[in-house]
Amino acid sequence: MRRPRKSCSVCESGVRNLDYKDERTLNRLVTERGKIIPSRLTGMCARHQRQVATAIKRARVLALLPYIRGHSR
Amino acid sequence: MTRKYEIVYIFDSALEESEIDQILDTLHELLKTPSSPEPVTATSHWGKRTLAYEIKGKPIGYYVVARLDTEPSALTEFERRIKLEGRILRYLIVVDEGFKPLLTPAEADAAAAAAAQANTDRPGAAGAKPAAAGAKPADAEAKPADAEAKPADAEAKPADAEAKPSDAEEKPATAGAKEDK
Repeated sequence: MRRPRKSCSVCESGVRNLDYKDERTLNRLVTERGKIIPSRLTGMCARHQRQVATAIKRARVLALLPYIRGHSR
Repeated sequence: MTRKYEIVYIFDSALEESEIDQILDTLHELLKTPSSPEPVTATSHWGKRTLAYEIKGKPIGYYVVARLDTEPSALTEFERRIKLEGRILRYLIVVDEGFKPLLTPAEADAAAAAAAQANTDRPGAAGAKPAAAGAKPADAEAKPADAEAKPADAEAKPADAEAKPSDAEEKPATAGAKEDK
Protein backbone atom coordinates (compact mmCIF):
# COMPACT_ATOMS: atom_id res chain seq x y z
CA MET A 1 0.00 0.00 0.00
CA ARG A 2 1.53 3.26 -1.12
CA ARG A 3 0.16 6.60 -0.41
CA PRO A 4 0.24 8.93 -3.41
CA ARG A 5 3.18 11.29 -3.26
CA LYS A 6 2.29 14.67 -1.84
CA SER A 7 3.25 17.48 -4.13
CA CYS A 8 5.82 20.10 -3.25
CA SER A 9 4.00 23.14 -1.93
CA VAL A 10 6.80 25.52 -2.86
CA CYS A 11 6.83 24.36 -6.48
CA GLU A 12 3.09 24.70 -6.68
CA SER A 13 3.13 28.22 -5.38
CA GLY A 14 5.43 29.12 -8.26
CA VAL A 15 8.26 30.25 -5.99
CA ARG A 16 11.62 29.11 -7.22
CA ASN A 17 13.82 30.26 -4.38
CA LEU A 18 13.09 30.39 -0.68
CA ASP A 19 14.04 33.42 1.36
CA TYR A 20 15.63 32.99 4.77
CA LYS A 21 14.00 36.27 5.85
CA ASP A 22 10.50 34.96 5.16
CA GLU A 23 10.00 33.69 8.67
CA ARG A 24 6.26 33.22 8.18
CA THR A 25 6.71 30.55 5.51
CA LEU A 26 9.58 28.88 7.31
CA ASN A 27 7.58 28.68 10.51
CA ARG A 28 5.27 26.19 8.86
CA LEU A 29 8.19 23.93 8.05
CA VAL A 30 9.39 23.43 11.61
CA THR A 31 7.80 21.45 14.41
CA GLU A 32 6.40 23.10 17.50
CA ARG A 33 9.78 22.53 19.10
CA GLY A 34 11.56 24.17 16.19
CA LYS A 35 12.93 21.14 14.37
CA ILE A 36 12.98 21.05 10.59
CA ILE A 37 10.16 18.81 9.34
CA PRO A 38 11.46 16.09 6.98
CA SER A 39 10.33 16.20 3.36
CA ARG A 40 8.84 12.76 3.90
CA LEU A 41 6.14 14.51 5.91
CA THR A 42 5.76 17.73 3.98
CA GLY A 43 6.11 16.32 0.48
CA MET A 44 8.72 18.91 -0.33
CA CYS A 45 10.79 18.18 -3.44
CA ALA A 46 14.50 17.55 -2.91
CA ARG A 47 15.59 20.85 -4.38
CA HIS A 48 13.29 22.86 -2.17
CA GLN A 49 13.93 20.78 0.92
CA ARG A 50 17.60 21.69 0.62
CA GLN A 51 16.68 25.35 0.33
CA VAL A 52 14.32 25.02 3.29
CA ALA A 53 17.11 23.57 5.42
CA THR A 54 19.59 26.37 4.66
CA ALA A 55 16.92 29.03 4.98
CA ILE A 56 15.82 27.78 8.39
CA LYS A 57 19.40 27.58 9.62
CA ARG A 58 20.07 31.14 8.49
CA ALA A 59 16.84 32.34 10.06
CA ARG A 60 17.92 30.77 13.34
CA VAL A 61 21.16 32.72 13.34
CA LEU A 62 19.13 35.92 12.96
CA ALA A 63 16.78 34.97 15.80
CA LEU A 64 13.85 34.94 13.39
CA LEU A 65 13.31 31.31 14.32
CA PRO A 66 14.29 29.65 17.56
CA TYR A 67 16.84 26.87 17.76
CA ILE A 68 14.61 25.26 20.35
CA ARG A 69 11.11 26.49 21.09
CA GLY A 70 9.64 26.29 24.56
CA HIS A 71 12.98 25.98 26.25
CA SER A 72 13.53 28.20 29.24
CA ARG A 73 16.01 28.23 31.99
CA MET B 1 35.58 42.05 -9.57
CA THR B 2 32.77 42.96 -7.25
CA ARG B 3 30.25 40.55 -5.83
CA LYS B 4 26.73 41.02 -4.55
CA TYR B 5 26.01 40.36 -0.91
CA GLU B 6 23.13 40.76 1.41
CA ILE B 7 23.68 41.66 5.03
CA VAL B 8 21.26 41.66 7.94
CA TYR B 9 22.20 43.61 11.05
CA ILE B 10 20.52 43.31 14.41
CA PHE B 11 21.10 46.45 16.46
CA ASP B 12 20.50 47.06 20.11
CA SER B 13 16.91 48.31 20.28
CA ALA B 14 17.86 51.04 22.76
CA LEU B 15 19.61 52.98 19.96
CA GLU B 16 18.10 55.99 18.23
CA GLU B 17 17.50 55.79 14.48
CA SER B 18 20.08 58.50 13.95
CA GLU B 19 22.72 56.51 15.82
CA ILE B 20 21.97 53.45 13.75
CA ASP B 21 22.26 55.42 10.52
CA GLN B 22 25.54 56.82 11.73
CA ILE B 23 26.93 53.35 12.49
CA LEU B 24 25.77 52.10 9.13
CA ASP B 25 27.39 55.03 7.33
CA THR B 26 30.75 54.51 8.95
CA LEU B 27 30.67 50.78 8.31
CA HIS B 28 29.55 51.09 4.70
CA GLU B 29 32.30 53.62 4.11
CA LEU B 30 34.76 50.74 4.55
CA LEU B 31 33.31 48.92 1.58
CA LYS B 32 34.19 51.63 -0.91
CA THR B 33 36.86 50.47 -3.32
CA PRO B 34 37.94 51.89 -6.69
CA SER B 35 35.81 49.29 -8.45
CA SER B 36 32.80 49.83 -6.22
CA PRO B 37 32.33 53.52 -5.50
CA GLU B 38 28.69 52.92 -4.50
CA PRO B 39 28.80 49.70 -2.46
CA VAL B 40 25.29 49.86 -0.97
CA THR B 41 22.55 49.23 -3.52
CA ALA B 42 19.55 49.07 -1.18
CA THR B 43 18.70 49.24 2.49
CA SER B 44 15.55 48.32 4.33
CA HIS B 45 14.83 49.11 7.95
CA TRP B 46 12.59 46.47 9.47
CA GLY B 47 12.46 48.26 12.78
CA LYS B 48 12.17 46.66 16.18
CA ARG B 49 11.02 43.13 16.60
CA THR B 50 11.12 40.47 19.24
CA LEU B 51 14.00 38.03 18.94
CA ALA B 52 13.26 34.33 18.93
CA TYR B 53 15.80 34.01 21.70
CA GLU B 54 17.80 36.52 23.69
CA ILE B 55 21.03 37.77 22.16
CA LYS B 56 23.51 39.31 24.56
CA GLY B 57 20.71 39.42 27.10
CA LYS B 58 18.45 41.54 24.88
CA PRO B 59 14.97 40.31 23.99
CA ILE B 60 14.34 42.91 21.26
CA GLY B 61 16.45 43.91 18.26
CA TYR B 62 16.35 46.50 15.52
CA TYR B 63 16.73 44.84 12.11
CA VAL B 64 18.30 46.42 9.06
CA VAL B 65 18.84 44.62 5.76
CA ALA B 66 21.20 45.96 3.11
CA ARG B 67 22.25 44.84 -0.34
CA LEU B 68 25.91 45.32 -1.07
CA ASP B 69 27.98 45.26 -4.22
CA THR B 70 31.62 45.23 -3.26
CA GLU B 71 35.02 43.58 -3.42
CA PRO B 72 35.26 40.36 -1.41
CA SER B 73 38.58 41.59 -0.03
CA ALA B 74 36.88 44.63 1.52
CA LEU B 75 34.69 42.36 3.63
CA THR B 76 37.49 41.21 5.93
CA GLU B 77 38.03 44.61 7.49
CA PHE B 78 34.28 45.29 7.35
CA GLU B 79 33.48 42.17 9.36
CA ARG B 80 36.24 42.88 11.83
CA ARG B 81 34.75 46.30 12.53
CA ILE B 82 31.24 44.88 12.92
CA LYS B 83 32.50 42.46 15.51
CA LEU B 84 34.13 45.31 17.42
CA GLU B 85 30.91 47.32 17.38
CA GLY B 86 29.17 46.28 20.59
CA ARG B 87 25.91 47.92 19.61
CA ILE B 88 25.39 45.38 16.83
CA LEU B 89 23.98 42.30 18.48
CA ARG B 90 24.39 40.10 15.44
CA TYR B 91 24.89 40.21 11.70
CA LEU B 92 24.70 37.79 8.79
CA ILE B 93 26.33 38.23 5.40
CA VAL B 94 25.18 36.00 2.57
CA VAL B 95 25.83 36.02 -1.16
CA ASP B 96 22.82 37.73 -2.70
CA GLU B 97 20.92 35.53 -5.13
CA GLY B 98 19.03 38.65 -6.11
CA PHE B 99 15.74 36.99 -6.94
CA LYS B 100 13.52 39.22 -4.82
CA PRO B 101 13.21 42.93 -4.14
CA LEU B 102 13.91 44.05 -0.60
CA LEU B 103 10.72 44.37 1.41
CA THR B 104 10.14 45.09 5.05
CA PRO B 105 8.03 42.43 6.79
CA ALA B 106 5.18 44.92 7.04
CA GLU B 107 5.17 45.43 3.28
CA ALA B 108 5.44 41.71 2.63
CA ASP B 109 2.65 40.99 5.09
CA ALA B 110 0.37 43.54 3.50
CA ALA B 111 0.90 41.96 0.11
CA ALA B 112 0.44 38.43 1.44
CA ALA B 113 -2.65 39.31 3.46
CA ALA B 114 -4.31 40.98 0.51
CA ALA B 115 -3.54 37.99 -1.67
CA ALA B 116 -4.82 35.54 0.93
CA GLN B 117 -8.01 37.51 1.34
CA ALA B 118 -8.58 37.61 -2.38
CA ASN B 119 -8.09 33.85 -2.45
CA THR B 120 -10.53 32.99 0.29
CA ASP B 121 -13.16 35.47 -0.81
CA ARG B 122 -13.41 34.20 -4.33
CA PRO B 123 -12.35 30.57 -4.62
CA GLY B 124 -13.45 30.34 -8.26
CA ALA B 125 -11.49 33.35 -9.34
CA ALA B 126 -8.24 31.86 -8.07
CA GLY B 127 -8.27 29.70 -11.16
CA ALA B 128 -7.62 32.74 -13.27
CA LYS B 129 -4.22 33.25 -11.67
CA PRO B 130 -1.67 30.72 -12.84
CA ALA B 131 0.33 30.68 -9.60
CA ALA B 132 -2.66 30.08 -7.36
CA ALA B 133 -4.37 27.61 -9.64
CA GLY B 134 -2.41 24.52 -8.66
CA ALA B 135 -2.00 25.22 -4.98
CA LYS B 136 -5.47 26.24 -3.95
CA PRO B 137 -8.14 23.70 -4.88
CA ALA B 138 -6.01 20.58 -4.91
CA ASP B 139 -4.45 20.97 -1.48
CA ALA B 140 -7.31 22.15 0.63
CA GLU B 141 -6.19 19.92 3.48
CA ALA B 142 -2.43 20.34 3.10
CA LYS B 143 -1.75 23.44 5.13
CA PRO B 144 1.75 24.31 3.92
CA ALA B 145 0.61 24.43 0.32
CA ASP B 146 -2.02 27.07 0.98
CA ALA B 147 0.38 29.22 2.81
CA GLU B 148 3.08 28.91 0.20
CA ALA B 149 0.79 30.34 -2.39
CA LYS B 150 0.88 33.69 -0.68
CA PRO B 151 4.18 35.18 -1.79
CA ALA B 152 3.62 34.26 -5.39
CA ASP B 153 0.18 35.80 -5.31
CA ALA B 154 1.55 39.07 -4.09
CA GLU B 155 1.87 40.42 -7.61
CA ALA B 156 -1.65 39.40 -8.38
CA LYS B 157 -2.96 41.40 -5.48
CA PRO B 158 -3.79 44.78 -7.03
CA ALA B 159 -5.87 43.25 -9.78
CA ASP B 160 -7.70 41.05 -7.30
CA ALA B 161 -8.45 43.87 -4.94
CA GLU B 162 -9.93 46.02 -7.65
CA ALA B 163 -11.97 43.22 -9.08
CA LYS B 164 -13.53 42.35 -5.75
CA PRO B 165 -16.33 44.88 -5.34
CA SER B 166 -17.90 44.27 -8.73
CA ASP B 167 -17.44 40.51 -8.51
CA ALA B 168 -19.06 40.28 -5.12
CA GLU B 169 -22.58 40.19 -6.53
CA GLU B 170 -21.74 37.53 -9.08
CA LYS B 171 -20.98 33.89 -8.45
CA PRO B 172 -17.29 33.19 -7.88
CA ALA B 173 -17.15 30.73 -10.75
CA THR B 174 -18.36 33.23 -13.30
CA ALA B 175 -16.00 35.82 -11.98
CA GLY B 176 -13.11 33.48 -12.66
CA ALA B 177 -14.28 32.74 -16.15
CA LYS B 178 -14.59 36.40 -16.96
CA GLU B 179 -11.06 37.21 -16.03
CA ASP B 180 -9.80 34.58 -18.38
CA LYS B 181 -11.09 36.42 -21.40
